[in-house]
Amino acid sequence: MNVYQISAANRDYKSNRCFSLLKMPLLNNLMQKEYFVQGPLSLGLWRTLNGEITMAIAEKMASNQKQIAISEFFEKNKHFLGFDSMPRSIITAVKESVDNSLDACEEARILPDIKIRLTKIEDKKDVIELMAEDNGPGIPEAAIGKVFGQLLFGSRFHAIRQSRGQQGIGITGVVMYSQLTTGKPTIVVSKIANETSAVSVKIGLDTRKNKAIKSEQDRIIWEDDDGVLKEHGVKVTCRMKAKYQRGKQSVYQYLRMTSIVNPHAAITFTDPDGEVHHWPRVTERLPTKVDAIKPHPHGIELGQLQRMLRESKESRMTVFLRANFSGVSMRAAKQLCEAAEVSEKAKPSTLKPDPIRNLIEAFQGERLCEGRIVKLLAPPINCLSPIEEMLIKKGLSKTIDSKFISTMTRAPSVSHGNPFQIEVGLIFGEGMVGDSHVEILRFANRVPLMYQQGGCLLTKAIEKVDWRQYGLEQAGGKGVPKGPAAILVHLASTNVQFTSEAKEALADNEIVFEETRKAMLEMGRGLRKHLEKKKKMAKTREKFELINDILPAIAAKSAAILGRPVPDLSGSITKIMNAIIAEEESVWNKETKQVDVKIIFYNYSSRARQYTLLTNWPEKSGAVMVGNERGGRKETTGIWAWKMETLNPGENAMIEYSLDGLEKGDWTETDVFFRGNQEVIGATKMDEKMLEEIRNQEEISRAAGIEIPDDDIIDEDEDTAPVAEGDNRQTTLFGGEA
Amino acid sequence: MARVNDPELTKRELHGVVAEMYDRMVKGEAPTMTLPVRTKNNIGFDKKLGVYKYGKKRSVRDASSLGSAKNLLRALHVVEFIEEMIKSGKSSTLREMYYISEGWGYGKFGSQNDSNNLAEDLEVITTCLREDFKLRPEEDGARMIGNLTLQEKNRKGEWMRINARDDVGDSGYGVPYNVEIEKIELLEHDVDFIMAIETGGMFDRLIENGFDEDYRCALLHLKGQPARSTRRILKRMNEEWGLPVVVFLDGDPWSFRIFASIAYGAIKTAHISEYLATPSASYLGITADDILAYDLPADELSKKDVEALNAELSDPRFADGWWQDQINMMLEINMKAEQQSLAKYGLDFVTDTYLPEKLGELGLA
Repeated sequence: MNVYQISAANRDYKSNRCFSLLKMPLLNNLMQKEYFVQGPLSLGLWRTLNGEITMAIAEKMASNQKQIAISEFFEKNKHFLGFDSMPRSIITAVKESVDNSLDACEEARILPDIKIRLTKIEDKKDVIELMAEDNGPGIPEAAIGKVFGQLLFGSRFHAIRQSRGQQGIGITGVVMYSQLTTGKPTIVVSKIANETSAVSVKIGLDTRKNKAIKSEQDRIIWEDDDGVLKEHGVKVTCRMKAKYQRGKQSVYQYLRMTSIVNPHAAITFTDPDGEVHHWPRVTERLPTKVDAIKPHPHGIELGQLQRMLRESKESRMTVFLRANFSGVSMRAAKQLCEAAEVSEKAKPSTLKPDPIRNLIEAFQGERLCEGRIVKLLAPPINCLSPIEEMLIKKGLSKTIDSKFISTMTRAPSVSHGNPFQIEVGLIFGEGMVGDSHVEILRFANRVPLMYQQGGCLLTKAIEKVDWRQYGLEQAGGKGVPKGPAAILVHLASTNVQFTSEAKEALADNEIVFEETRKAMLEMGRGLRKHLEKKKKMAKTREKFELINDILPAIAAKSAAILGRPVPDLSGSITKIMNAIIAEEESVWNKETKQVDVKIIFYNYSSRARQYTLLTNWPEKSGAVMVGNERGGRKETTGIWAWKMETLNPGENAMIEYSLDGLEKGDWTETDVFFRGNQEVIGATKMDEKMLEEIRNQEEISRAAGIEIPDDDIIDEDEDTAPVAEGDNRQTTLFGGEA
Repeated sequence: MARVNDPELTKRELHGVVAEMYDRMVKGEAPTMTLPVRTKNNIGFDKKLGVYKYGKKRSVRDASSLGSAKNLLRALHVVEFIEEMIKSGKSSTLREMYYISEGWGYGKFGSQNDSNNLAEDLEVITTCLREDFKLRPEEDGARMIGNLTLQEKNRKGEWMRINARDDVGDSGYGVPYNVEIEKIELLEHDVDFIMAIETGGMFDRLIENGFDEDYRCALLHLKGQPARSTRRILKRMNEEWGLPVVVFLDGDPWSFRIFASIAYGAIKTAHISEYLATPSASYLGITADDILAYDLPADELSKKDVEALNAELSDPRFADGWWQDQINMMLEINMKAEQQSLAKYGLDFVTDTYLPEKLGELGLA
């Protein structure tokens, strides 16, 4: 739980999401005349959103000289602040503290260790004590009062980038809820790295003055349970009216889901019965640091533009447009001015309402320049921090015990000027309940969405897919499928749009919906492929058992009974198998810390055969192929090809290599592909379309400046089927045994 | 029809099965086992023998899938096992063979059913009997009461003379699994016919009422679907003593099947119908029209009953007019009745009224 400083540069932009919040009826009443009020910029807080709403309200209230009790505001709005029922309140309280801890650690580049403990208070009905502790950078003593005790304290932190802080009310709400329901102050212990002792203080709220009431402030030596001096971190203890429940909507489920999408965090939860749940850290990699971006003209609304213009220091419109928006080139800036019938030289801060409206219309493409819509560049996508396929896989496999996991991260896309990215994961197999609906795990910017599943865009996208073709049960090909599976969907976006202020379900958005649906289809194909492969391999194993064990036994036994010599079996074997078979094995080598991959290729057909074999490897996750003595060549990212020698009937050949740079469990199954006429058991015919899609994806990433391994890509000189133009945003997906 | 046990012939027949597999492998082909199709579509009436036998349809089991390859290997182990038993003069139950197969590695049986089926397969291919293979079933044979005298070779190899009325208790003479001439000889009798009865309850009722004495007959308890030895001894008594056989069963589709297996031969054992079936046996009851004529307490047919009746309509063994009428009538009245439903009219009704009337129709009373 931590504070970070916010650069002054961020002050100038209000994000749209803040704008949209202002459209809430309640706030509208308060804020009809003006959209924004400038306030003093102070220390940044963990959270962004609540600060924004609440501060705006406070400022407004202050300006109106109204003495509204903030507790009254809280009471009235607790339904969308997450404190509307006792079971819900404890989840919200845990969520606020955990989200803050994760954000603070991420900012400070610390691998989070989070401990949550809930204790029922004896003799008091429905009172629960929450203890939340982290190893974040800590909060400086001077800032504690404001962070915890001032409901309306907030940052002017409204940069456009992906952040958790778009949901909930913030930790101050927890402090307030505790005080309102039990009358108890919240105890905060905080230590920052460059101080030797920690500060311990009780925080209460003066709701009329909107100030913290500090008491019993002291410096203490903070040791953890093992008596080791704590270097840095925050511990919050508070008591509130709440009810602990189990099930789909519970603290347990919230933490479990959080741990899935935060594989870099270690979370320990002690429930009120004293049972300890631990979700370990499965990666040392912190989420990518994201940059803030300027708003894109497609995503701006009138009020926001008005404010930006009013506050601007630029002397010319063109400079203003280029300096304050992303995706606007010099040419585009000129064209926008022309389309809006605004002089390029006009001083932005003096622009009148009508030209401003024109400008918005030009942004939206409703006003044309020389009969054309002004072309704008897409916004940069480095403001997004996807979890990434390998880490989703790890996150899922640590919480759900199952065999098959298929994941995919779509290329970033843009909706109304807001960059977003969809990630999906599917876990399937034994150990999961088979006859009920699959579990849906929804996330927005790494925050679990636990309520209103049915009304959520992400759920709707899942329901729209006909899962029957991918091996799951689904009545009528619609709705949530049934089967031993869980589906994860994550939306990473600079602007997450919810159906309501309760922020429980994502609002409909055609572009996001389509992206999600496509991701599901691609993942479904991965599942189908896996199931087909499993079936085929089982059959192959049977055949091998037949020719290796049973047939020789038949030959020996029949010869013995008849008293004749044992017959040669090569002819019978070819007749029985009548197939070309690829056997794959990917095993973790403890000594070399590499994954050893071995592929044996058998020709059990009656003719000589010649094939090109291809395999996939997790190049995007940093794996390096070593010891590949057969050579071959790289086809595209993550695909290697070998032209095999001609195999006569009964002959076999082997490919061996190792993968370096992976951890145990990262890679347990290699997909084998082939180019050639006859089907190969254990391998898939190379889908040249898919190959092309991977290449396209590379192009997109390259264009977007994302670093990808820069090996030479040699064009296939033969066997390559003509390639159809496909959806160029498709990434590939390789499922694997977890 | 008497038959002689010839171990050398049995061995030769079994080696034929092995040679088929061996020769295919030598030719570079997958080993195979060829056997008659064992369904009702491949049974036909053999005019010479007067029973239903398998037709010409053959199925080939080849080693192209793991399951059938294992089956071939099992067959080889069984052949080897039979040869060993013939050599050492031992026999084994099918269940014992199932357990012995534990030591057969890949040739181990998956279930008892597998071993039963394979023994039947070998019988069908070689036209030998499982008695020739020294394999015994688990099931025990029937019970018999009546003035019949036979001799049975006991474990010491001595012949024992037994009268199935005077030398036995209330449970009657127990028919052993092997009733071939090397084990049992039929000596003499003083009865007019043999009545085979489906349920133990009815068998005991007739004994208690002294029906066998009053009507000069032998009673035989079938115990549901009769074991091979039961059918075989009926056949022998019918053939060797010239005794008529009447069959008294419940009135339902399953009883019709029991009768068919006694009179015409069972589908599963159609390869040895001539040894097991008694074509002259008569169906005494309960018939569909008995249910109406005697107004018997009856149950509605279940879905399975109806399916069975419909299957019987297309079964060649029930192709004659009388059976078609009975089956159709049962479907029409949608009723079935048990033997013991006759007790509606008192304990003596069956012996005093029903059976005399029915036997009268057949000219036996």
